Amino acid sequence: MHDSSVVIETRALTKRFKDVLAVDSLSMKVRKGEIYGFLGPNGAGKSTTIKMIMGLFRPTSGKVFIEGRQTNGGGVELRKDIGFLPERISFYDNLTPVQTLDFFCELRGADKAVVSSLLRDVGLDNAANRRVGTFSKGMTQLLGVAQAMIGAPSIYVLDEPMGGLDARWVKVVRDRLRMLNEQGATIIFSSHILSEVQMLCRRVAIINKGRLVAEDTIENINDHLNLRPRLWIHSPGLGNKAPSWIHEIEGVEDVVVKDDTMLVTCDAAFRLKIMMTMNERGLRIEDFRTVEPSLEEAFVRLLSGEEG
Amino acid sequence: MWLDPRSVYVIAKKEFADNARNKWILALVSIFLVLVLAASIMAGGGKMGEMSMTVSTLSSISSMLIPVIAIMLGYATISGEAESGAISVVLASPVRRVEVLLGKYLGLGSVICFSVLVGYGISGILIGATTGIAQWTGYLVFMLLSMLLGLLYLSLSICFSSVLKRRVTSLAAGVVVFFWGAIVGMVVIGLYMATGGSLADFIAGDTSSIPDWVWFEMFLSPQDGSGVAAMLAFGETEFLGYDLDLPPWVNLGTLVLVQLLWTVIPLVLACVWFERRDV
Repeated sequence: MHDSSVVIETRALTKRFKDVLAVDSLSMKVRKGEIYGFLGPNGAGKSTTIKMIMGLFRPTSGKVFIEGRQTNGGGVELRKDIGFLPERISFYDNLTPVQTLDFFCELRGADKAVVSSLLRDVGLDNAANRRVGTFSKGMTQLLGVAQAMIGAPSIYVLDEPMGGLDARWVKVVRDRLRMLNEQGATIIFSSHILSEVQMLCRRVAIINKGRLVAEDTIENINDHLNLRPRLWIHSPGLGNKAPSWIHEIEGVEDVVVKDDTMLVTCDAAFRLKIMMTMNERGLRIEDFRTVEPSLEEAFVRLLSGEEG
Repeated sequence: MWLDPRSVYVIAKKEFADNARNKWILALVSIFLVLVLAASIMAGGGKMGEMSMTVSTLSSISSMLIPVIAIMLGYATISGEAESGAISVVLASPVRRVEVLLGKYLGLGSVICFSVLVGYGISGILIGATTGIAQWTGYLVFMLLSMLLGLLYLSLSICFSSVLKRRVTSLAAGVVVFFWGAIVGMVVIGLYMATGGSLADFIAGDTSSIPDWVWFEMFLSPQDGSGVAAMLAFGETEFLGYDLDLPPWVNLGTLVLVQLLWTVIPLVLACVWFERRDV
């Protein structure tokens, strides 16, 4: 029985290239209406997995289901509803962006009237009549994003959509993804830029060496790894050394000192009390803030756990 | 449905438009036009020669040039686009791979057919206007054979393009395929000599003593087969000074049939290999 909240599912998906096991029995589920982050270091098997989802690679074993239907590497009908951006996208050099998008509109059976607004959406309207061969890597990438939006699909499969873009364009793409998601689209995107993923996604999958390391919400992963928010305190004159009494304060779990700053791991409920005690003991607190655990920490922790 | 003709048409249209845009078609039409007129003037000794004379002068050049053009058009079709990554987005669209392959084949095929039709057509009309149009059916068959030869080599080049990983290896394969057609004649003659054949007979143009199996070469080399078929289309029995004393099983019908096999089999293989390919 198919769970209708699952849009893309892989079951024990495996791809072997000669002596390299690129993807190893990977099972994951992308749910309807979410932005799903697909993370892993370079060479972890992200692109290979995405290519299998899109039917560009044949799995050695395992299955891909899109909206509950097994794709079998075919699935012409299923692909109608998917916008796809491959890794290191390339178009035909001799075409202009307008001709390129016209061609893909015809392939998808979509109305060509949307082409100029798609180009405007990604900020390429001023290059509409240049040949794609003269485009920078970033511009080609943006054209790829515009191409993926043809026919307003309800599923997006994007391989490194922010790769090769400068900060300004990253924001354009990020805003565009948020908007599409707010309009109801389900998005899976791979990335190794963890801050991007943290900004956009609730649920993520982390893979390494072709194997799934974790698949959950970012909060749950942090909880699971016992990654806690920390208190950052700036105190001039600390001199690279924690006060001897610091561990006597109730609620202090861990302290790391560097120069005049101190990172204190503690439960949120103790924060104020800890700072007041410090103050009473004569420690001059010049500045403070709380530091939320980053996806990066989780990522590093998970991968080092894998290695060890 | 197994095939969506609309997708095939969209891909074919793009391939044709690309070659119109980059002036390939114009160049090909010009080459064909000049080639036929030059051959005609050579055959006619300074003035326009008759069609059959023109074609016999032309066919050896034509049967070299058309395969070269077809291989150049086709060799990178799949491997080149797979290497650049351009084919990924196309194949992730709601189209079948067989539609993409056939679309490319038909698009590039129409580039060849259109160029032959216009280039050979205009020059045929010019020759006909000067020397009379008595042999127009022969010339028409020659045009069709030229198109078929183009489609045949296009099929071969797309076939290895669909199986080979890289652009440069498929170019190498194209060179091999081209030389196969060009040298298989020499190989067969070598075998003929080795099995006691007489070179003297061959040079003297006395082909009556040549065993039948030597003529099988016409089926092994698409280039030679096409050239001989063109001669037969004009009812000629002399080819480059040789009397064509052909066995009955080498005739226009069997030659065309073999050319069709050379076209269809690689195309089917290309579809099968492309379907299985990781891109």
